[in-house]
Amino acid sequence: MLSPQLDATFAALADPTRRAILSRLAQGEATVTELAEPFDMSLPAISKHLKVLERAHLIARSRDAQWRPCRLEAAPLKDAADWITKYQQFWEESFDRLDDYLQELQASPEGAALTPSKEKKNVPKKRVGKHHE
Amino acid sequence: MSLKNESVSTTSDREIIIERVFNAPQELVFKAWTSPENLGKWWGPTGFTTTTHEMEFKPGGVWRFMMHGPDGTDFPNIVRYKEIEPPHRITYAQGNDVDPEMFEATITFTPQEGNKTHLQLKTVFHSAEVCEEVKTKYGAVEGGHQTLARLAEYLEQQ
Repeated sequence: MLSPQLDATFAALADPTRRAILSRLAQGEATVTELAEPFDMSLPAISKHLKVLERAHLIARSRDAQWRPCRLEAAPLKDAADWITKYQQFWEESFDRLDDYLQELQASPEGAALTPSKEKKNVPKKRVGKHHE
Repeated sequence: MSLKNESVSTTSDREIIIERVFNAPQELVFKAWTSPENLGKWWGPTGFTTTTHEMEFKPGGVWRFMMHGPDGTDFPNIVRYKEIEPPHRITYAQGNDVDPEMFEATITFTPQEGNKTHLQLKTVFHSAEVCEEVKTKYGAVEGGHQTLARLAEYLEQQ
């Protein structure tokens, strides 16, 4: 159901620290030290998370020897977002169609029989055969 | 009863919930799920059609169908009904010939004032091959989706 890249993306996103790192990187490039700042975590611990994100191709690290700033890789994240969106879209559109179908059913004698009519008492007789558009 | 509650709490980390209020009574909304004729009228996104090969709407029964995409692609599907409680609840497993139980869905129909019906579709994902891993992966869906929403701006710049 999921491609290997989607698997890797979702697995990498499963951790709250890694999600926070990605959110930070959405604002722009940052070094390991900058990324570690908001967390009560050692640099090696942060580095470990960065390696997971790098292996999942969610971030890339520049080759500039000393600073090696990290930046976000957008494509795999977009694929993950697309997958969730597609699944939700399947149901949103199905439910739109179901909504239409239910209105249709209620207009039919069979469906009307299932609809408890509260305004039964004073229904004025309508001219049969004339349908307003 | 307590079992049901339990299963809700143990799967909450890998489920997607979609809700909708329909302007129709509970019995009618439920009915829309009970026959190929009814399902064929609305199942699938815009432009999709559904051909039913077999359907037995009862616990243990199967709905085997083909979804035809707008571009001509066919998607075989198998739904196996687990629990049916008219007009309140339907639980089924869905998949295809390769993996007949990709996920489990529970549809709950709740009557609302004014002859309306609240429908909740809860999908719980599971995978036979890597059950433990999947738990981690789908645990990511909720939090991941929030992250993804926040990243939307960034993605648009790409």
